Amino acid sequence: MSEYIVELEGVGKSFAGIRALDDVSLNLKSGEVLALLGENGAGKSTLMKILGGIYTRDTGIIRVFGEEIDEMTPKRAKELGIAVIHQELNMCTHLTVAENIFLGRELLRSGMLDDREMNIRAAEVLSRLNIDIAPDTVVGTLPISKQQMVEIAKALSTNARILVMDEPTSALTSKEINDLFHIIRSLRDQGCGIIYISHRLEELQHIVDRVTILRDGKYIATTRFCDTTMAEIISNMVGREIKEKFPRVETPLGRTILRVKGLNAGRQVRNVSFELREGEIVGVAGLMGAGRTEMTRALFGADPKDGGEILLDERPLRIEKPMDAIEAGIVLVPEDRKKDGLCTKLSIRENVALPNLDILKGALSTVNSRGEREMVERTVKNLSIRLSNAEQNADSLSGGNQQKLVVGKWLAREFRVVLFDEPTRGIDVAAKAEIYHLMNDLKTRGLGVLFISSEMPEILGIADRIIVMCDGRVTGEFPAGTATQEKILECATRFEDKLGLAAGD
Amino acid sequence: MSMDDSKSPSRLGRLFAARGMGQVVTAAFGLVILCVVFGILNPIFFSGRNVGNLLRQIAPILLIGIGQSYVLITGNIDLSIGSVVGMSCMVSATLMTMGMNPWVAVAVTLICCLIVGVLNGCLVAKFNLPPFIATLGTMTIARGIAQIVNNNYNTDSIGPAAEGFRNFFYYGRLGGLFNTIWISLALWLVFNFILSRTRLGRHIYATGSNKEAARLSGVDVVASTTAAYMVSAVCSCVVGLIVCATSGMGTMDAGNMYELYAVAASVIGGVSTLGGQGLLLGTVMGASIWGVLQNGLQFAGAPVAIRNIVIGVIVVVSVLLDVVVRSEKRRRKRERKEEAKG
Ligand SMILES: Nc1ncnc2c1ncn2[C@@H]1O[C@H](COP(=O)(O)OP(=O)(O)OP(=O)(O)O)[C@@H](O)[C@H]1O
Ligand SMILES: [Mg+2]
Repeated sequence: MSEYIVELEGVGKSFAGIRALDDVSLNLKSGEVLALLGENGAGKSTLMKILGGIYTRDTGIIRVFGEEIDEMTPKRAKELGIAVIHQELNMCTHLTVAENIFLGRELLRSGMLDDREMNIRAAEVLSRLNIDIAPDTVVGTLPISKQQMVEIAKALSTNARILVMDEPTSALTSKEINDLFHIIRSLRDQGCGIIYISHRLEELQHIVDRVTILRDGKYIATTRFCDTTMAEIISNMVGREIKEKFPRVETPLGRTILRVKGLNAGRQVRNVSFELREGEIVGVAGLMGAGRTEMTRALFGADPKDGGEILLDERPLRIEKPMDAIEAGIVLVPEDRKKDGLCTKLSIRENVALPNLDILKGALSTVNSRGEREMVERTVKNLSIRLSNAEQNADSLSGGNQQKLVVGKWLAREFRVVLFDEPTRGIDVAAKAEIYHLMNDLKTRGLGVLFISSEMPEILGIADRIIVMCDGRVTGEFPAGTATQEKILECATRFEDKLGLAAGD
Repeated sequence: MSMDDSKSPSRLGRLFAARGMGQVVTAAFGLVILCVVFGILNPIFFSGRNVGNLLRQIAPILLIGIGQSYVLITGNIDLSIGSVVGMSCMVSATLMTMGMNPWVAVAVTLICCLIVGVLNGCLVAKFNLPPFIATLGTMTIARGIAQIVNNNYNTDSIGPAAEGFRNFFYYGRLGGLFNTIWISLALWLVFNFILSRTRLGRHIYATGSNKEAARLSGVDVVASTTAAYMVSAVCSCVVGLIVCATSGMGTMDAGNMYELYAVAASVIGGVSTLGGQGLLLGTVMGASIWGVLQNGLQFAGAPVAIRNIVIGVIVVVSVLLDVVVRSEKRRRKRERKEEAKG
């Protein structure tokens, strides 16, 4: 047997004539963590789906534990000890945690489901992972990060020897990420092989042994992590160097564009006031449950408000439904692209056109198809969305390109204020830089930019002013120059006193 | 502190969240209230005779409700139920009038109905036809078969040779209750056991909850969907036999609209039309509410038209209630989700 437990050689795959993978090779040893890196649409997920038997390859060889596998199916992969944690959550939300963990390999006792035993075993797996969830909780009632941890627990409970994790951390909190790294290291020490995909390059140093890089569906390089530098990795991924991680442009401050006074919406948005001025990007930082998404949703009219004043260019606005906000010139780029951002079963063209049908109105209220085509072309070009054809379904795009599409469909119209909710989640370094440039561009054009992010370096690097939220309230505000991680964290954890004494702010 | 909310809900909460136990309890309350109201309006409502009749009215609705619930839980719908009832009634009656032994006729009928069930399952699960369209097709086909078996006529009386058959499915009694009631009870127990205690049942829930996730976990979603359609066909078949035994002949339009009554019984009992959620206990509640309304309103002297209107309103209101509750849940879920990310 060779030293590798997984060998992929010359793997190729096309979708409807478009090459997603071309002659790609990858090797995995036992007892190592291999990072699989590449831009959005580079083909990472596709390659792993081929290994997991979800897609069939067009060409190439797969060897697992030295054995050549002709036909890989999800079932075969499982028998071989391969477990894949997919980029998109795949849970039966109506079933309990234990039921999900044992789905497809339920434990039986005299022909009947043995729920007691499954609950006990699931509890064991969960406690090994340090996850505090009862095994009989219905998965749909859990927050996304916990669901992600359940997905990980499910993969681990199969005692897989080969583990693929496709962006497992994009929905996790920092504590959960730490726990996960702990687990990854101990699995590695037990001799498992782990393929780890992530766009958060700063994570790699904690766990990764080797790196394999793909670009445009082609194999670029494999190196030991300690023999390479971040700059080298990035230039291999992108094919060029990225000069500034956080480009910054200085523009003079202008008039106030948006003024929000005493916004209230449920428990998650309490008495939020802030303003947005021309020539600045306002970042919103905060921890779990800070109410940032709720705040933008209320502002945009997606959720009902309990009170508060909104002034756009000093004119009071009444926003009761999203249409009101859009007409006034406020747009929202939501965080959950699958649920709130895209109609995944519609084509890319239709998705871009959807919020802009008022602009694209032709004679007799038909859709002006030429205008539509031009708009789509412009959007795809401006954001360099990687696609084979604008008629493909939005969900056939790679994760990061879907995110770009969500941003793009709003940028295709005139607006005054844009609310970005975690716009860079799951997108690669180059695309991140593009989004930052885009925000800077909007800023210099004198538009209002509100930018929610959970990544500290990003918010410190891009925002001109940072608002910190905690428990639905604004607990701090800093100009970019004076903000530090410590200060932000201090404000972000300023919870209300249990006795009801307001924390000093 | 805000993390407290993202913790798992309480034990009781978990119990109720699972499979929609909450709606079952709501439906049970509704049922009790209805019974009390009709009992006060008309004391005979609770007489032994009426209760027996009422249960006999509920039995077929419960059976088709079980079938539809299975299919709804897989995230699909079965529009062929009513036609399969008609087909079962006509095929069995025709065979019996031709002099076939009733029990052989029953076996042949069962096979015919199962073929429809398998066909439904294949069209929907294997060839990915939208279930509404696929079963609309088989609905028309099955009704056509019901009409063609006896050359577009209702059959003559199934005759004295079929007395044993009629006794078994209709007027026979055991321990004071009509056989019809025992049959549906027995089938309910079997199918409830399968759905709640076996691997197949678990796979049916998983398929309806998230087909792709189920498939990736190694669940044979084609098999589980087909099994659900077969259960539906079996239930419809039995109801067809009951109808045949009741009238002593085959009627071509037997079971007309039953597929929709079955949807009503399911959704009143909390089975989600979106799949993944529902309990057969809820279907019992739904079918009972249906039967009690029919029976009680009849007793109260309400004409058929009024009965229809009341039942229609109940169906809409029960689902509306559920939607309102769920949207509130969704809101809370979103809040928790926001909390989950830092
Ligand atoms: N089912 C599909 N149909 C058509 N094209 C597809 C399909 N799946 C993937 N592709 C295409 O294959 C290419 C590679 O996609 P893949 O999802 O593997 O990228 P990725 O490296 O995982 O990117 P990301 O980091 O954004 O997740 C993309 O151009 C994508 O549009
Ligand atoms: Mg991917």
